[in-house]
Amino acid sequence: MRERLRALDTTLLWPMVILVLMGTLTVYSAGRGTSQATLWAKQTVWNVMGFAVMAFLAGTNPRRAFRSGFALYVLGILSLVLVLAAGHRIGGAQRWIILAGLTFQPSELMKWLTLLFVAHRLGTRQPQDLTAWDLVGVSGLVFFPMLLVLKQPDLGMAVSFLPILLLVPILKGLRAKWVAVGLVVVGLGGVFAWQKVLKPYQKQRVMTFLDPGADLKGKGYQINQSRIAIGAGGLTGQGFTSGSQTQLNFLPVKTTDFVFSVWAEERGFLGVLMALGLFGLVLSRILDTAVAARSASETYFCVGAAGIIALHLLVNVGMVIGVLPNKGIVLPFFSAGGSSTLSYFLGLGVVMGIRHRAQVK
Amino acid sequence: MEILNRSLIHRRIAVMKVVTLLMILGLVLAYGWVQLGLRREMQRLAFSQAVKTRTTPAPRGIIFDRNGNKIVDNRRALHLVIQNEDLPTDNLQIDALAQALFMEPEQLRRRVQASRQAAGNRMLVLLDNLDDAALARAEVLRARFPFLSIEVAPRRVYLGQDLAGHALGYVGEVTPEELAKYPDRYQLGEIIGRSGFESSRNDRLRGVDGQRRILVDHLGREVAVFGLNEAKPGRSVYLTLDAGLQEILKGAFGSDNGAGIVLDLRDGGILAMFSSPSYDPNIFLNRLSQEQVEQYWGNPDRPMLDRVTQGRYPPGSTFKLLVALAALEKGIITPESTFTCYGHKVFYNRDFRCDNTHGTVNLIQAIAHSCDIYFYELGMRLDIDDIHAAAEKYGITMPTGVDLPHEATSRVPSREWKKRVKKEKWYAGETISVAIGQGANSLTPISLARFYAMLATGGKFLTPHLLYGIRPEDNSPMELFTPPAPRESGLDPKIRAVLDEALYEVVHSGTAKESAIPGLTILGKTGTSQVTSFVDKSHYAKLGKKLRDNALFAGYAPRDNPQIAFCVVVENGGFGAASAAPIVKKLCQYWFIDRLKKPLPPPSAKIPDEFKQDQGAEPGEEP
Repeated sequence: MRERLRALDTTLLWPMVILVLMGTLTVYSAGRGTSQATLWAKQTVWNVMGFAVMAFLAGTNPRRAFRSGFALYVLGILSLVLVLAAGHRIGGAQRWIILAGLTFQPSELMKWLTLLFVAHRLGTRQPQDLTAWDLVGVSGLVFFPMLLVLKQPDLGMAVSFLPILLLVPILKGLRAKWVAVGLVVVGLGGVFAWQKVLKPYQKQRVMTFLDPGADLKGKGYQINQSRIAIGAGGLTGQGFTSGSQTQLNFLPVKTTDFVFSVWAEERGFLGVLMALGLFGLVLSRILDTAVAARSASETYFCVGAAGIIALHLLVNVGMVIGVLPNKGIVLPFFSAGGSSTLSYFLGLGVVMGIRHRAQVK
Repeated sequence: MEILNRSLIHRRIAVMKVVTLLMILGLVLAYGWVQLGLRREMQRLAFSQAVKTRTTPAPRGIIFDRNGNKIVDNRRALHLVIQNEDLPTDNLQIDALAQALFMEPEQLRRRVQASRQAAGNRMLVLLDNLDDAALARAEVLRARFPFLSIEVAPRRVYLGQDLAGHALGYVGEVTPEELAKYPDRYQLGEIIGRSGFESSRNDRLRGVDGQRRILVDHLGREVAVFGLNEAKPGRSVYLTLDAGLQEILKGAFGSDNGAGIVLDLRDGGILAMFSSPSYDPNIFLNRLSQEQVEQYWGNPDRPMLDRVTQGRYPPGSTFKLLVALAALEKGIITPESTFTCYGHKVFYNRDFRCDNTHGTVNLIQAIAHSCDIYFYELGMRLDIDDIHAAAEKYGITMPTGVDLPHEATSRVPSREWKKRVKKEKWYAGETISVAIGQGANSLTPISLARFYAMLATGGKFLTPHLLYGIRPEDNSPMELFTPPAPRESGLDPKIRAVLDEALYEVVHSGTAKESAIPGLTILGKTGTSQVTSFVDKSHYAKLGKKLRDNALFAGYAPRDNPQIAFCVVVENGGFGAASAAPIVKKLCQYWFIDRLKKPLPPPSAKIPDEFKQDQGAEPGEEP
């Protein structure tokens, strides 16, 4: 036990712990006087559990995880199929399974299992030996669970699988030809998605993003209220549990998607700087670990992990201030939620295991 | 892994790190812009949606009877409203709301528009007086239309229900027309007196609205109050009415139509006034169904008409006192002058009839037994303009100045009147009919009561009034309302004594002797008049009722030091002695005897369920 705790990477641990504490306080403040008044306690339980998972993985040789990558991937796919077949429905989306009384969202974990398997597959070959077909195969490994998630439907979650594909330019470099092909694919995909895949509510989100002022009482309401909350925070914030936007419920879904607006309103720009700084520390430490890693698979895993967290940070924090479309994507360490909390601790546990192995050498 | 590849990948990771940190920097800049650059604007928006100014409607003054029994009270009621700052701008939304509330979309749009343009902060009331079921439905509506809110506002309760409907009147929201007419006097959405005392003394009864600054949540629910400017309630007033006497008067009418009024001879205060059929003012506080509108405004019985101040009846024999007065003053007769009654007599080639064959009678006997022949003779000797002049002199044709709206003026015909209105000259034969209170005579019960009060007081013109006093805001004594000082009519005391004697004989030995009360002297004159005027005769035919004469009784009591004057009209009641005088008997029995021993209990505080029902049926039941 002591051995495992010692394996924790303190440089990564401290900013993370501070972010988690900040998140829990924010969930407490946001839940006050609503039906979510005790959510912070529940979140604390998840955090403690996540911490245990992380400590366990930090002291475990990541090679063991990589070796069972294929089996875990298959299990993950099966769980996604199970969700579609017999999942729990909340508000028109079928994303959850109930396990021992707890609602669990397999797609959260599946991101990390996909990353694990893809990193493992790519890491067993030399980069220069990878053919275009190999890359297509790897992309398929990412797109398959993405499609299952899209079917739930959960566009935000599906998007958060995309950073795994960052590994391709890391391995092969960014060439003008590839960028051009990528842009064409994204453009055609976008047109296709707009006409065939996107649900009306998703199109509405995009429209709202493009012109949030058009419908202040309707769909643009959430973003508008969130911007007001953030702006009203000013430099030093309205004070803990004192943000009017938060406490009077003008802010929607304030314990999950819009939790950062609560932080920004009550803690101000200084609090935002602090949070973003800590995220910067976490991300740069993960990327440092990628460089320090002893095997290619480990490097790739760290890169993917940084990509996933960075994407969540960018989309969520950008969304709540209205510079990115309202995606319904959570903010790691801040947003309340069991599955996502566990999955981030799990991913960072693997990163810490990689760090530990690189250091003990 | 080869060293070259490793370092290449490490370089790419370094690029990724820079990109990541640039991305974070981008977020920092975006937040800096909103939190530092747009701070003022955003704080203003946050403040304006969380802090609202709401108007607290002031309760109207409470109304007591002269003994301090509450007859009109206020009650806290819940209303579904749109606060001024929440008024929707989207017409589609208004239409959807109108549909949900079963209102006309056009009408609701107009109301919303009017509210937006109006000064002040009054809310737009959509549904008032929500009961439990309506409240539940209102909550459902609020989930769909977040701009709706539920407000507590005072609501009138008329404790006696239809006890004094016409005297009290009722209240309602000020109409756009009134607002346009008196823009400075009323606020949009204000509840004002619509009729009766509520209307005539609206200025005293209305309060001053309060303001409160509150914190609201996203649903517009009040979370906290800071800054309160209390509403100033209207002044509570005492009426001259005696609730017990009013109850007796109301009960005496039963299902008969008619009017009755009792005046206090000390100051002209109205002790009781009742117009039958009456109405329950509570009903008019709600939106009325088409059926109810028809029932109250389309009804041939005209329940909305206050017969006491607006009903005009031929006075019948009650008018004879004025004719006698005119004849005595002109010296045409003395009290001892006699005429002989054979039951009928021809005047101007027309046969005029009397109810009876009275033989040779003097003035007092003629009044006591209501001999028409005697007064036909006076009519032949008097000019119509003499009668009209006496009516003017003794105040019959003068509005009484009662503090109720739209008092009708009594009419006693004259040459000038006929020429002006009928474009014809006066025929002397018509004066014969006028002399017994028929013809073009048309008097309000209140003016007749005031005439008898004038006789009772030896010539004083009292101003009938309902306002007795204003309740002070502290514990000091009531501020009594002082009616205008009574004007003297110049009635000759000798003539007054003769008329007093005649009125005494009516109840003592004459037509109304059935209505005498042992130990009490009631003075008065019965009257029976042909139905004309405002009630459609065919209505009676339809009801299968025999068209009978109106019965009247007017007078005062007691003989020594008179205290009250009264006038009662029972439509279709037949002889005055048969139906109107017994009502006066009941009034006197209560006022002079029963009241002193065992007064009636004050109006109950029971609130009828009836006026909860018309909030609209459940949505499912709607066609």
